[in-house]
Amino acid sequence: MGTLGHKKVIVIIPAYNEEEKIATVIKEVKPNVDEVVLVDDGSDDRTAELAQKQEVIVLRHLFNRGQGAALETGNQYALKQGADIIVHFDADGQFLAGEIKNIIKPIENGEAEVVLGSRFMGKKSNIPWLKKNIIFPLARKVNRLMGINLTDPQSGFRAFSRRVNEQLRIGQDGSAHCSEILNKIFYYKFTVKEISITVIYKDFGQSFFRGKGRGMGGIRIVKDLILAKLIN
Amino acid sequence: MLQRILALIIIVFFISRVFWQKRKKQIQVNEFVFWLVFWALAGILVLFLKQIDKFVSYLGFSASGIDILLYLGIAILFYFIFRLRLKLAKIEKDITVIVRNIALKDEK
Repeated sequence: MGTLGHKKVIVIIPAYNEEEKIATVIKEVKPNVDEVVLVDDGSDDRTAELAQKQEVIVLRHLFNRGQGAALETGNQYALKQGADIIVHFDADGQFLAGEIKNIIKPIENGEAEVVLGSRFMGKKSNIPWLKKNIIFPLARKVNRLMGINLTDPQSGFRAFSRRVNEQLRIGQDGSAHCSEILNKIFYYKFTVKEISITVIYKDFGQSFFRGKGRGMGGIRIVKDLILAKLIN
Repeated sequence: MLQRILALIIIVFFISRVFWQKRKKQIQVNEFVFWLVFWALAGILVLFLKQIDKFVSYLGFSASGIDILLYLGIAILFYFIFRLRLKLAKIEKDITVIVRNIALKDEK
């Protein structure tokens, strides 16, 4: 745990075949936090090697297990390292490292236990048309049915306190972890705050049918959520 | 009649395979019992097809007995696929736990 008054902030970056951007992302994130943990999710390229050169902690999955699995590996590591605040950050450079301080502030001030980045609170993000006008409004409606009222239904930029990390175990290995995290946050009744973030889209992200890595893509997310209900 | 004889030959062949696999210790006792009962039941159904036809029409189905058996077979297959999927999902979860533990142990 951090020294008196200082909260130890660990950023978890799950990465799968991100050799093009990973060094830049780490360089930008590093000055903003106490520790950067890169979880290399079984990449076939030089992602892990390039991250190691940046002198950050690298945890390597032997096989690709999905973004949710990688985040959970990072969460467990952060818990062991005594992190007071855990931040999830994408490896593809779509978030701005400069906004990490904004996302952790409400936790530092004791305003909230979970802070979620939102693309729909004022700041300009070049969100693809289909996502903005069809997918997100639909996802928001589904969330509302489950009692989750947020402006951004699927944000990957989030921060939470140690207490949250102790209880929030991510069981969904693929992209369905986004919905799972939101469900659990509301189930455990943690205090939540949304803050405005900027997202720079280089491509669509993930489509209905395909995505990068295991358990990605819209249809697979729905399938994973249904299977999880049947197994548990 | 010829069809029934052919069906019975196929069933006898599969039963002999089950015994052979058991002798070679390729299958466990519970699997052996399951497949033996499965094929024996199939044989009984083939032998009593006429009675099944009568029973099926008594129940109000317009299809013949063999058709109903086929439908049942497909339904059972779907059920097995469903169970396999659940089992696979559990195995996937276990793999993730193993991969995670190795990653945490070998931290660099």
